[in-house]
Amino acid sequence: MDNLFAIFISMALINNLVLSKFLGLCPFFGVSKKLSNAISMGLAVIMVMMAASIVSWFLYFHLLIPFGIGYMSTVIFILVIASLVQILELTIRRTNVTLYNSLGIYLPLITTNCAVLGITFINVRTGYNLIETIVSALGAGVGFTLVLAIMSGIRERLELADIPESFKGIPVAFLVAMMLGICFIAFSGMV
Amino acid sequence: MDSNALIIIISLTLVGLGCGIAIFLANRFLPEEDKQLKKTEEISKYLPGANCGACGQPGCFAYAGEVAKNSDILKKSPCMQLMNDEKKLKELSEYLGLDLSGSSTKKIAVVHCSGDSEILFEYKGINSCKSASLLSAGYKKCPFGCLGFGDCAAVCPVNAISIDQKKKVAVVDPKKCIGCGLCVNECPFQLIEIIPAEMPQYLACNYLSKKNIPNRERCSIGCIHCRLCVKASEKGEVTWDEQKDLPYFDPEKCVSASAAIDKCPKKVIFPINK
Repeated sequence: MDNLFAIFISMALINNLVLSKFLGLCPFFGVSKKLSNAISMGLAVIMVMMAASIVSWFLYFHLLIPFGIGYMSTVIFILVIASLVQILELTIRRTNVTLYNSLGIYLPLITTNCAVLGITFINVRTGYNLIETIVSALGAGVGFTLVLAIMSGIRERLELADIPESFKGIPVAFLVAMMLGICFIAFSGMV
Repeated sequence: MDSNALIIIISLTLVGLGCGIAIFLANRFLPEEDKQLKKTEEISKYLPGANCGACGQPGCFAYAGEVAKNSDILKKSPCMQLMNDEKKLKELSEYLGLDLSGSSTKKIAVVHCSGDSEILFEYKGINSCKSASLLSAGYKKCPFGCLGFGDCAAVCPVNAISIDQKKKVAVVDPKKCIGCGLCVNECPFQLIEIIPAEMPQYLACNYLSKKNIPNRERCSIGCIHCRLCVKASEKGEVTWDEQKDLPYFDPEKCVSASAAIDKCPKKVIFPINK
């Protein structure tokens, strides 16, 4: 149990995908303009990350490793994640329109998101078992959502701030992201 | 070509096949999607997609959803950008089987200020009309004049408003303006008004007070409330708005008042060039 908690904290805060591994930067800057959008996107990412991690864990340890073709994992994972997102989008669309309206438009964005592919690789390379994989994917997704929410809160304020003309928009967002990254270093001694 | 390569090819093909079959099965056995959603998506194709929010909905897709539920919304709170696009409006009315021809009235925004006023004091502060207007009704001599920081230009979804930096006044380009009305609420002096696009002229002044406020006179071309324009218009093109004490052009009629434009001693009635 301690181990699982450590994995969760480590993925959410210490090895945060966005701020310490620099994965998934395009949704980080693209969708972080409004808090409500950021949270919807974050929830969609959590969902896809967990599903993708579980499926890729089974494929990696029960198909690729027994056949000795672990080096083909990149191709397989991309394929699996892409089709998984398609199925997920179809399911949400057909069964829950309200959920589709809030999450659906973000799902195609995640199909080729490097953060999702990244977490599957981190999980299989570290050699986590199934439970640990699920917890680590959940942690990574929660960390991603957290950073996205913090960033969108800051960017909503930045809209009102008096910023030099040449720094308006993305440049100042990068500067803020840097400071946010420095803040997250403070977590590094926790586990 | 050893057996290892064969394994790779076969297993990759199988995984790909499995993914394809899974999507096929999901597509086949999941319940039919909501018909409303399909209609919403169809309608949203005709909408501008600028997500300006002027219709009162959070975005074009949400507006399409409301229209799919009840097509009266198109008339009650019309999408101004759609109303200006005759081709798309016609296509949408064909799709919905509605007659929208009567409601296709193009509208544009006008700024009731010529920006000719002198500067009273130098304003150094936050670059926004809202904040500048709080300091003794603006830095210009005219206490009603456009401050020219461009709060309206910032919200314009089509960049139709530009700021004349020399005169410090917002200028609307009637060719670009879609009449969405987002700028109206931004102006702290309520200088912007949405009028029908057929309107041939507008008054470029908003000097409301009948008496002059000491040291805050109107600009050199500001309306002096002489009512010559009303007298010049024989058919009643121009009437007098007693409440504002300014000439009034009836938006229902949209008639040209060229005589009044000529007669105006201050030349503050501006023709709209299209």
